[in-house]
Amino acid sequence: MEDGARLMERVRARDVDAFGQLYDGYHRLVFGIALRIAADAMLAEDVTQSIFLTLWSAPGSFREGNFAAWLSRVTRNRTLDALRSRATRATDEIPVDLPAEASTDAAVFANIDAQRVRGALSVLNDEQRTPIELGFFGGITHEEIARRTGIPLGTIKTRIRSGLRRMRVTLTEAVSR
Amino acid sequence: MSVADDREAMLELVAAYALGVLPSADQGMVAAFILADPQARREYDELRSTANLIGLSAEEPVDSARAARMKERLMAAVRSDVAPARAPLSATRTSAMWGTTLAAAAAVVFALVSVIQNFGLRSDLHDAQTRVATLQTRLDADRRTVARDRSMLTDLTAGDAKRYTVAYGTVVTRGPHLYLALASLPPLPRGKVYETWTLARGAKAMAPSVTFVPNQSGITLVPLPEDAANLSAVALSVEPEGGSRQPTTKPAFVQPLS
Repeated sequence: MEDGARLMERVRARDVDAFGQLYDGYHRLVFGIALRIAADAMLAEDVTQSIFLTLWSAPGSFREGNFAAWLSRVTRNRTLDALRSRATRATDEIPVDLPAEASTDAAVFANIDAQRVRGALSVLNDEQRTPIELGFFGGITHEEIARRTGIPLGTIKTRIRSGLRRMRVTLTEAVSR
Repeated sequence: MSVADDREAMLELVAAYALGVLPSADQGMVAAFILADPQARREYDELRSTANLIGLSAEEPVDSARAARMKERLMAAVRSDVAPARAPLSATRTSAMWGTTLAAAAAVVFALVSVIQNFGLRSDLHDAQTRVATLQTRLDADRRTVARDRSMLTDLTAGDAKRYTVAYGTVVTRGPHLYLALASLPPLPRGKVYETWTLARGAKAMAPSVTFVPNQSGITLVPLPEDAANLSAVALSVEPEGGSRQPTTKPAFVQPLS
């Protein structure tokens, strides 16, 4: 299968077949993230359809970079929005607080897959992994993470930063091997 | 706390912003810091792209029936978008039936409202409507605030934004939008404010824009109301509270806009 960025170029040209391939390649990612966040299969299904329809109706939302990473963030934001409103509608707008990553990262992380990301997360100790996963999949602020875990906010901030940096080192090493 | 400690604390907020766990009230300040500090910008880019990959760990198989059902619906929507078909007659009939049904429903609602009024509940209804209107007004205001903040953050981080390094930070323009992202601004003497100035294309004198007072950390994000496309320069100076009509102190910077 072509990579996501190439397929999105074809989607921009209204290529229906490319859209089908895009769905085949990425619906597991979108549905998986939405399900992990919402713990509700029907809502995850709604979110998945909403996101793919938006990819079709507003393909220019993705500019460049690692498509899977971009889609991952978009799915997170859309699912959190849906949970907040409990009303998932197909909008014409991708959440806008997501600049596509720099193209250098697209090259570095182009071949990163789910297994490698799980590997990088498993390298973290629980103290680092828990606030990072709570933050990404729970959609809560670092203050709320501190409250829920009973750990001081300053410690949470430090662990998030050190955890993300460690993940980055692990992933960079993985792709350079 | 030392300057180095302050800086580390800000970089921790940058990491929180990259992960998406920073409270919205702090996002403008951190975005301004990122724009004004190249190391913060680099760290943000690196950690953001790392954080975005976290979602990949949730990828999992979708049962085939569900996957096929979703795909069928999506492909149908996409194909109809590419080649919009004429609405079949049955759809028109359905619409007409819906129209009849809706009219009947409206009549029922109207009758119900009349009954309520007849039972002397008009006052309660009015109170409820007032509360709903108030809540709706608040909701609309919140939505406008969120939309404005999102739009601002998009402009600041967009690849096609123009950035000009100035004293204490960065001037950012994107289309008609103009922002000052400033860090470590010197504290103001009592009774003074920072005032921004803009020079319209073809104009000979600077015109006053907004005034502001930075927060305690000295980090400030200032959106200017003028259309950036019509400006040839922007400047910043310290002025008396209430602002001045012309700069009365030497500007901290005067930045031409291309």
